[in-house]
Amino acid sequence: MIADTTMFLGKFLYYALESLVVNIIPKSKKDVAGEIVLITGAGSGLGRLLAMHFARLGAIVVLWDINQEANMETYRLAKEKGVKVFAYQCDCSSRKEIYRVADQVKEEVGDVTILINNAGIVTGKPFLDTPDHMVERSFYVNAISHFWTYKAFLPAMIKANHGHLVCMSSIAGMVGINGLSDYCASKFAAFGFAESLFFELSHIKENKIKTTIICPFFFNTGMFEGCITKYPFLLPIMEPEYVAQKVVNAILEEQVYLLLPRFAYVALFLKQIISPKMMLALGEYLGADRAMVSFKGRVKEDEPQTETKRKYH
Amino acid sequence: MCGVRQKNMASYLKTTKELLVFLGKSLFSVLKALIFTFIPKPRKNVAGETVLITGSGSGLGRLLALQFARLGSVLVLWDVNTEANEETCRMAQEAGAMKVRAYTCDCSQKEEVYKVADQVKKEVGDVSILINNAGIVTGKKFLDCPDELMEKSFNVNFKAHLWTYKAFLPTMIANNHGHLVCISSSAGLVGVNGLADYCASKFAAVGFAESMFVETFAQKQKGIKTTIVCPFFIKTGMFEGCTTSSPTLLPILEPEYVVRKIIDAILQEQLYLYMPKFLYLVMFLKSVLPVKTGLLIADYVGAFNVMDGFTGQKKKT
Repeated sequence: MIADTTMFLGKFLYYALESLVVNIIPKSKKDVAGEIVLITGAGSGLGRLLAMHFARLGAIVVLWDINQEANMETYRLAKEKGVKVFAYQCDCSSRKEIYRVADQVKEEVGDVTILINNAGIVTGKPFLDTPDHMVERSFYVNAISHFWTYKAFLPAMIKANHGHLVCMSSIAGMVGINGLSDYCASKFAAFGFAESLFFELSHIKENKIKTTIICPFFFNTGMFEGCITKYPFLLPIMEPEYVAQKVVNAILEEQVYLLLPRFAYVALFLKQIISPKMMLALGEYLGADRAMVSFKGRVKEDEPQTETKRKYH
Repeated sequence: MCGVRQKNMASYLKTTKELLVFLGKSLFSVLKALIFTFIPKPRKNVAGETVLITGSGSGLGRLLALQFARLGSVLVLWDVNTEANEETCRMAQEAGAMKVRAYTCDCSQKEEVYKVADQVKKEVGDVSILINNAGIVTGKKFLDCPDELMEKSFNVNFKAHLWTYKAFLPTMIANNHGHLVCISSSAGLVGVNGLADYCASKFAAVGFAESMFVETFAQKQKGIKTTIVCPFFIKTGMFEGCTTSSPTLLPILEPEYVVRKIIDAILQEQLYLYMPKFLYLVMFLKSVLPVKTGLLIADYVGAFNVMDGFTGQKKKT
């Protein structure tokens, strides 16, 4: 018992020191040339930027998106970097389709070694005004699709004891936000799922499969068009290129959690120690409760407009 | 020139005013929290309130029903298991409930939730306290768990909350009176080895309840309260076989203790309730410690092995 505790305290001190050192000296970045990187939602926004980054790094890039046109554009841009690129149309809300396209990938490309679950949609209305089918769809794309992609690609990673699972969650996956209840719930679910699997994998002896969970605040790719932030200094609406850069770095350095911007770590820490009323006061002060008021989102021709203006009585 | 200076002054004053308001509110709430650690917070009276409990056929749901019966509330019991639910109904009547109605409802089916909700509205009235408690666990390692089972667990543990909110919240808002209780889990705060789908659903429940709390607050619906409950494993048979290597820090909880704390939290309109108290420390540490140290602590308290001996409920749901 005493030996146990001493061992524990010793290790604790060591890891604490190690993390301090790592914060000063930059960690080494792994080489991903030749790795097979699969990105869902690669047709636009962050997915497209990540595809470009990985193409530049020499990886084989597999692009999934429901929008064939946008996906082919990403394909074209990535091909310019001179690497192998594969584009597949896939509706991530359908389990059958995910499995079908995954089988195609395994046959035509090989075993995926870096899986980036990035596809995401948002409705942005108050919960009671959101139609049920849109709420459900949010879940299927933002969270449940992760179950199926993991099921499709994780076994091969475990066999080879080599792989990297990347989960694009969100700040909305760590704290509830007004006007985003279904999105928040789905992002919380994605986070919990990825974290659970991370623990499950780290408990396997000699496991070398990595996990990275990303939680960014809003960034302007059009997905959260119209959102405002009161204090751009603390909580900026970030530039997508900055986010993509940070995400790629986190993957190359095999970081487990990444919150963006830095202030998010502070906000999260505060959330644990302050009372709910204070949390609300802080949220109000930072303008978090009004961030979604002028949300417009992406306006697509074939989908119902997500434009919404809400007045608070 | 003058106009610009005036504009700057005005915006400067506005920022200062907002900062002062924020500081003022924070100070006030800190004082309130301090006072309430010494003086117990007043408990509200729930006699006559209509309390709906999902998963009332057994475990926590049944115990909550009995407690609310003793407090004089009207009870609406939902469970997929008719027999067990009728038993709870009988026990609640014996405990002195003035009115109890039991309904069979499979919470994983949206249409069924809506149908039974309509029945409740017609036969009983407006639900004022909604307790989303129904939950199932597969307990299998992720890659060994059949897809349908994972989806079902997600549907019962979380999506049911979406439909019950949709069914009952509008009336609560119209009456500006209601209490939304989400029975989540410690597995809704931190991932657990061997509970990937369960964690996903419990995380979603927390995120959703929290978001809706913020939404009701922003819409100034002061009469709507929220309570989010995150207990560690409870000895109700649901997590039979689970172990902990730190019974002092992370005990497998006694059901009576848990129910008492939940009722207190509801009556005092508390927002979060973590059990045991060690969870508050865990969440705090999780937000500051580097990953490796966190994992180390988890290993030390046996968190990675809690599901190793899992056998679960003997009877099928």
